[in-house]
Amino acid sequence: MGASAEGLDDGLSLRTEMRRARRRRLGQLALRLLNHRSFLIGFVILVFFALVAVFADLIAPYLPNKNNYRDVLTPPSAAFWFGTDAFGRDIASRVIHGTRVSLGIGFYVALLTGIFGTLLGTLACYVRWLDALVMRTLDGLMAFPGVLLAIALASALGPSAINSIIALTVAFMPRTARVVRAAVMVVQGTQYVEAAQAAGAGHGRIIFRYILANALSPVIVQLTYVFAVSVIAEAILSFLGVGPPPPAPSLGNIIADGRTYIQEAWWIAVFPGMAIALVVLGLNLIGDGLRDIIDPRQSSQH
Amino acid sequence: MGGDLVVAQSSNPPSLDAMTSSSGASRNITMNVYETLYGFNEKIEPMPILAETVEISDDGLKYRFPLRKGVLFHNGKEMTAKDVKASLERYRKVGATGSLLEPVESIDITGDYEVTLTMKRPTPTFLEAFCSPRAPAVIIPEEDGAAEVNKTSLVGTGPYKIVEFVPDSHVRLERFTDYSQDTRYDGRDGFGGKKTAYLDSATFRIIPEPGAAVAALQAGEIQILDQIPVPAARRLEDNPDIDLYENLQWAFNVFILNTNAPPTDNPKFREAVQVALNMEEIMGISTEGLFNLNPGWVYPGTTYDVGDLASAGYYNQADTARAQALLKEAGYNNEEFTILTDSNIPEHGRSAVVIAEQLKAAGINAVINQVDWPTALKLRMEDTGWNGWTLQMGIEPYLGPVAIMSTLTGKRPHFVKNDEQLDGLYQELITGQTSEERKATFAKMQTRLYETFSIIKVGDSGLMQASRSSVKNFKSFRFPRVYDIWLEN
Repeated sequence: MGASAEGLDDGLSLRTEMRRARRRRLGQLALRLLNHRSFLIGFVILVFFALVAVFADLIAPYLPNKNNYRDVLTPPSAAFWFGTDAFGRDIASRVIHGTRVSLGIGFYVALLTGIFGTLLGTLACYVRWLDALVMRTLDGLMAFPGVLLAIALASALGPSAINSIIALTVAFMPRTARVVRAAVMVVQGTQYVEAAQAAGAGHGRIIFRYILANALSPVIVQLTYVFAVSVIAEAILSFLGVGPPPPAPSLGNIIADGRTYIQEAWWIAVFPGMAIALVVLGLNLIGDGLRDIIDPRQSSQH
Repeated sequence: MGGDLVVAQSSNPPSLDAMTSSSGASRNITMNVYETLYGFNEKIEPMPILAETVEISDDGLKYRFPLRKGVLFHNGKEMTAKDVKASLERYRKVGATGSLLEPVESIDITGDYEVTLTMKRPTPTFLEAFCSPRAPAVIIPEEDGAAEVNKTSLVGTGPYKIVEFVPDSHVRLERFTDYSQDTRYDGRDGFGGKKTAYLDSATFRIIPEPGAAVAALQAGEIQILDQIPVPAARRLEDNPDIDLYENLQWAFNVFILNTNAPPTDNPKFREAVQVALNMEEIMGISTEGLFNLNPGWVYPGTTYDVGDLASAGYYNQADTARAQALLKEAGYNNEEFTILTDSNIPEHGRSAVVIAEQLKAAGINAVINQVDWPTALKLRMEDTGWNGWTLQMGIEPYLGPVAIMSTLTGKRPHFVKNDEQLDGLYQELITGQTSEERKATFAKMQTRLYETFSIIKVGDSGLMQASRSSVKNFKSFRFPRVYDIWLEN
């Protein structure tokens, strides 16, 4: 490395220049995303639900688990926007809090799936002898349909929010790991990775700075789908009684409470159902937008 | 007359071997197929069904049962004393409540059509216990006497015979054309009487989803719905095609506390739970409005009714402040209070949710463990791991104090650790010579329950049944009787 003051200066300015360029690229990316109509719609929907989830305590007019047997099964009104259920609980408040539970579970599943999927996918690819072992194990897991595996795991672990997250993560992680592995394989063969290796870069630096940085875009797109599917899967688990135990107001629980009364009190199941539909729509729109713009395979087709 | 009837119920019958199951889902079907020597009439008094009568010796040690002659089994053979002996001997071994024959020393054939039971000791409550439909002591052919559980030929003497059983789907019954009517009576009466099979066939369909069952009733796919959710019943009230039947004394809703596991092993803590509860809210929500508040351990107006004895100041208090003071006294330190409940019987789950909220408001760290019904039955047999268990007792309160108290005494009472005082009173109850004596003992037992707080009486819940209006002469009872009813268009 150059030890002279001049060389150091050059290095510094080059680094600053690169940083500026990266910031410029990010700005352009944000601009392109915001100009992408379906991404924007999805983004607005998701931000709306995220705010509802975060500020649930402030927005909800009632406590979500407050029983009131004098007001059971009342239709939507000014006092109860979305009506009440068989316990006299306010559906609007439950849907608001349910958004928090369901989005929370979806978010953590996406996050954990991302972390473990990336870790395993990268390891499998980077450490050659692990590849067969890891991938065959994941193939084994993938032999089960994701939701079915999650149901089986959740019933084995017992009904709770954390167990739902674990079950869904295990169910959806193999797919993510595959996507990561495929992306890493492409990047691993590129000349700049070889160049970095030749320059003596350490494993950590190669993996994080050169491989993952360039392989993550398809993973991010994939994770928006994992998020969406997890919200639906959480509803399925709760509906079957292996999600967060009652009286927790997850969206699936509210729908499950409402199924008996669908003819007498449609509002119990319809409003949380709409919330799920909107959240999933938002996530899918975001995913589509991201895929159009940042996934290199897709953008190369433009 | 004639025609085919479909009855819908929510649970699969675990068995059609009637004497081995105390499940209501089984009883609904089997009581149309099998008969007992003695059973309860509509007023819950013992009446002879397959027996002509019973002669009890003065010392109370011999029960002579002459049998009705000419009664045919579904396999065409005539019922004789041999069949009765074989059935009762089998009941002793595999009967789900086989212990009711515990006071019986021997079962002897004393004639072609006569059986005599010899008792170890006089047991004044024996005949009533023998009538119990909980796991009925039905008479089956001698050939089935040695059959293992669920391995009988499913043959009985009733007005309908089993022709098809597809688990989790349906059980199909057909009219038994050679049925021997009991002409001593004018018509059906409780579990006995003169039964007339008008319908050609009756099919019991298993529809677990209440909403689906109601839709099937409205569409005319089923004619009788064993239990209809109350809001659906209210909606259909004015529907001319649907008849509703309200049965207000159907079950006791109770909340059982585990006296073996902390924090419920502490009586002070249990007292706190008792006074914290708002029974009206629990009952109102769990039964969807079909309930009576009743602190007593028998139905009002029945023989052993001692009213609200000993419950003053404890029942339906909803007294959070007092509960908190008691918790402090009990040294409660926010330990988890696990409520065991299930998702199959909606009243159980709803009770648990309301109770949990009320206890949380009193400062108890209540959590719900909702599992499926078979798992709940397994978990509650564990000595620890649960603190409260929501239960609807259907048949026991119908049978009266002996049946209820038998679940709360002995080696493994519902609340896990037995109470010696209550055990002693139970012996006194079953050996009481007259109903007055027994009532006095029962009064002491009710008082004791309001001292130990090991089981909390929440209230009496009703049952709503529905039928198509084409079903005639149906009357709500402990099981849907498919005889003496017919279809009219």
